Amino acid sequence: MTIRLTPDLLEAIEGHAESAYPEEGAGLLLGEVHGEHRRVTELLPLPNRYAPESRNRRYQIDARDMLAAEDQAEARGLDILGVFHSHPDHPARPSDFDLEWALPWYSYLITSVLQGHARETLAWKLRDQRDRFEPQEIRIRAASTENLS
Amino acid sequence: MSIVRVPTPLRPYTQGQKEIEVPSATVGEALRQLSERFPALEPHLFNEQGQLRPYVSVFVNDEDMHSHQGEATLIQDKDRVMIIPSIAGGNGSEALRAVDHAALRTNQAFIISLLLLAFVGDLAWIVAGVGGVMLAGSILGRPGFVPAYLLLRRLRVVRPDLINDHPQPHRFAQTLGGVFLAVGALLLYAGSPFLGWVLSWVVIALAALNLFGGFCVGCALYYWLSRLGVPGFHQSPPPGSFPGRRPATGG
Repeated sequence: MTIRLTPDLLEAIEGHAESAYPEEGAGLLLGEVHGEHRRVTELLPLPNRYAPESRNRRYQIDARDMLAAEDQAEARGLDILGVFHSHPDHPARPSDFDLEWALPWYSYLITSVLQGHARETLAWKLRDQRDRFEPQEIRIRAASTENLS
Repeated sequence: MSIVRVPTPLRPYTQGQKEIEVPSATVGEALRQLSERFPALEPHLFNEQGQLRPYVSVFVNDEDMHSHQGEATLIQDKDRVMIIPSIAGGNGSEALRAVDHAALRTNQAFIISLLLLAFVGDLAWIVAGVGGVMLAGSILGRPGFVPAYLLLRRLRVVRPDLINDHPQPHRFAQTLGGVFLAVGALLLYAGSPFLGWVLSWVVIALAALNLFGGFCVGCALYYWLSRLGVPGFHQSPPPGSFPGRRPATGG
């Protein structure tokens, strides 16, 4: 299973992560599902609702924001494909806390931000057994070449 | 009866159904009935102790159950019931930070290559230069040859390798190497080539051990000094890793 992004969307995700630094930034990936592939077409950055003193290592999108996001996605004929969030000064790998809170099916994009600069973005998906995440391939393609493959 | 709306990530476990009819009951009972009908859904709604997972929220007529009686919130006939996940996450540890081991390895490769070149060409100024770059890197808190690494990364020759680790031991190891080379260069200029090159070869050997063997002697020394309570050495090895060994990546 792959998740497809345009270079502009990846840049926007990493820009959001940098602007949130030293706090964690987060939002939702909206787009379409084509069989085994997911194509992100829009981002929905959302406020980090976690307690302010811990926002450097935690993020939360509360249920009311999710409810509004689901309505918004549905109105646009899109699905919520997953979540993007940043790990300030930490690797772009899911933590035990990420695992505890992870939903199945969603793609989790994590951007590592080192000293204010986005260094790496990786995609992960929770296994059905909920025991760990497995890596997901990110394909970066310009929108004009999206339909060629 | 009421209709429960299932969010997209849970639909693979309800045979793709978006809306499911359940008898009117409390929120907790409705979720348990759903789990009985769709056993694959249960582990995603409830943990091993049978408690609701932290991300599960149920809205009854746009009201969050957490603002009412939680799982005991009543569902009446024709109520609009929705399972809405709240999303959270974050990095695991406050003490450990991301350390780019690809930058460290590039640094070691440059140190080894340049010192070998210096030895073959009998060029003391390269020894002095490498020592200076390493000490400058330590002062700035980064591997000395990080500009070369950033260039190679831009050219996609190397990829980042971020691991939860302590940066301080690596900085200490680099400082130690830089001091060895600075003293080595002074000895070379002062007419003691044997001692000067011995110090340079010690740095080559330790950098090679780190690059090819994944063992950082300077880091191990840092952790041993920390264990002895020497001031300025505060960190302990990352959980589960031997002092000086490259930590496991996890995830």
